[in-house]
Amino acid sequence: MLEWRAAWTSDPVKRLQFLQRARASPISAPRSLSLGAITVGLAFLVLAFLGLAWASAALVQPTWKRAASPQPRFTALPRSSQKPEAAPGRVWLVEANDRFELYSNGLRVETQFVTSTQPRAYLSLSREGMDTHPARLRFDPVGIVFHTTESHIAPFEEEQNGTLRRAGEGLLEFVRRNHSYHFVIDRFGRVFRVVREDDYANHAGHSVWADQNWVYLNLNQSFFGVAFEATSRPEDGPPVNPAQVHAGRILVEMLRARYKIPAANCVAHAQVSINPSNRRAGYHTDWAADLPFHDLGLSDNYQRPLPSVTLFGFTADELRSADALRPALEAADDLVRREAAARGMPLERYREVLQRRYKDAIASVGKQTNVKYQY
Amino acid sequence: MSNTNTKPNASAVGLDVGTSRIVTAQRLDKTTQYQAQLNAFVTLPFSKLTQGVLKKERIPHLVQGTEITVYGDESERFANLFHRETRRPMLRGVLNPEESNSLKLVREIVVLLLTAESPGQGQKLCFSVPAAPLGATQEVNAHEAELKRMLDDLGYESSSIAEGLAVVYGEMENSNYTGIGVSCGGGLCNVCLAYLSVPVFSFSIGKAGDFIDSSVANLRGEPATRIRTIKEESFHLNGHFANKIHQALNTYYEDMLQALVSAIRDAFAGAQNMPKLTRPIPLVLSGGSVLAAGFRDRFEKILRETELPVAISEVRLGASPQHSTARGALVAALSEM
Repeated sequence: MLEWRAAWTSDPVKRLQFLQRARASPISAPRSLSLGAITVGLAFLVLAFLGLAWASAALVQPTWKRAASPQPRFTALPRSSQKPEAAPGRVWLVEANDRFELYSNGLRVETQFVTSTQPRAYLSLSREGMDTHPARLRFDPVGIVFHTTESHIAPFEEEQNGTLRRAGEGLLEFVRRNHSYHFVIDRFGRVFRVVREDDYANHAGHSVWADQNWVYLNLNQSFFGVAFEATSRPEDGPPVNPAQVHAGRILVEMLRARYKIPAANCVAHAQVSINPSNRRAGYHTDWAADLPFHDLGLSDNYQRPLPSVTLFGFTADELRSADALRPALEAADDLVRREAAARGMPLERYREVLQRRYKDAIASVGKQTNVKYQY
Repeated sequence: MSNTNTKPNASAVGLDVGTSRIVTAQRLDKTTQYQAQLNAFVTLPFSKLTQGVLKKERIPHLVQGTEITVYGDESERFANLFHRETRRPMLRGVLNPEESNSLKLVREIVVLLLTAESPGQGQKLCFSVPAAPLGATQEVNAHEAELKRMLDDLGYESSSIAEGLAVVYGEMENSNYTGIGVSCGGGLCNVCLAYLSVPVFSFSIGKAGDFIDSSVANLRGEPATRIRTIKEESFHLNGHFANKIHQALNTYYEDMLQALVSAIRDAFAGAQNMPKLTRPIPLVLSGGSVLAAGFRDRFEKILRETELPVAISEVRLGASPQHSTARGALVAALSEM
């Protein structure tokens, strides 16, 4: 009615004035259901019932009938069964100047070492079928890879302040020169932005990860690289101190809020790193254990089967010694074994098929974009 | 119509304060007249000879210490003449914090456009402001407050309007101001969904014309002004590339479009108090960055591939895309009278 009455005047200003006046007075919504609405509701119920019946039939379909379906096209890929997690609350920029940025969650990002590479651009492959569904050209970051810098680590003691600061500055200069990470968290829990967030950084090299819908290869372009000034050597004690964990937590919160990054895509370098020449996962082993996922506000992603194993047939012998990853590796192996059995293939033959898929995928990614991957 | 010397003596003014252009709209004898100036300047070393030439030619300029600042449309001509890059008083939709005279220069350009013989004298003026990009509300508020103070000082009774809403007011009277207004300018892309003239959500993204120019310039090692010229003169967003610059332009246009459509989808997902839209709504594209050939088609294709909770009846370019915001601001100013 309101729209109909507004249409009576052709003068745009009068029409706007009418609508604005009408806005000031309450518009009552119809409270009783019309016959049409009831009909639509009934139709919806019938459709919902039919949909449920169809879904139930699919679920209880006998195994012999499923086995008779056409044979392996390797289109739909096994998905992670874990549910996506809730996004963090809003985090906003409070203050920015030429030295730092301050965010509403207390995060302070030092910006004195910022440098650029090139704007990020990459292809992600569809989990529905890498060879049958189009890849997607993207420019947004979709995840975070956590690293340790494996740099010189002085004892964390007051007497060592000078050494600690010098080591940190030297490290930042090195990282800046090599565009190694987007962020570095130093021993004092300070967060330094090194490579601009819109650009890629050379942090992940040969690497693989996948989420519910997409597969990502060589994550320099698609994932942020966040490095803790730390080493993975057990003799050095816990890799990070509480200040670094706190800084990591609020940095992750900011990045996830700003870029809508799912928690499932926040992973350790060891989980994504691969060696294509020998088809082994875990080429780099930083954070193969002890990454404090929970303290960073994330679920324990060590539990997630490695996509390099399940999707591309990589083996993960280098990571077997890491207790944290063992359940995920066993689950991944089990998944591959079952997929091979379902296709009636010996395990090694199926792995070869998956490895060929990796070869094709990496070739197609290189072919379809002018992005120079860092491998 | 733009850049005429005879300025209308109108009852109200619509003012589009864009990163790359400032546009005014005024109604005179039932027709709306538009004037525009580049929101840019160039500084030249002071010399009496240069100053004399500028005065004689009536080129808008300021003398500040050892420098002469030429602003508005003429800045581009002088930048080419002296082999310099023009600078911007505004950056990403708001006053440029790196230019100390940014507000003063915007004021000079506004004065150049608005006040022929007499200042505002209580005239209604509605000026556009960008919607807040993520995490920068205060920056936008400060920008809005500074512009308002400046315009009030000039004697206008000023109010502001979100740029996307201005597009709705400027282009969607036929749908009773219901629809999505999109303004792709130099610094930002602004979006507003309005229902019967009431804004439901407004936002901006930082990828727009300047982002494309500077990204391609960085990639290809060319000055941004040259990229802008190529973009405006010979680029078609149709997947066929005459050269590597066109290819890079295509890539960054694609990036901008993907980001824009994703942001629209996300805005719908996060919108609270969404009205029940019983029929498909239109979407209007406006601003200088939508003028590239093929822009509308590509935008529509990406939009149609994206799942939105409302049906879109049409995706069209504004009747005069570079004037849509100013026109909408004028409609808003007149409606307040």
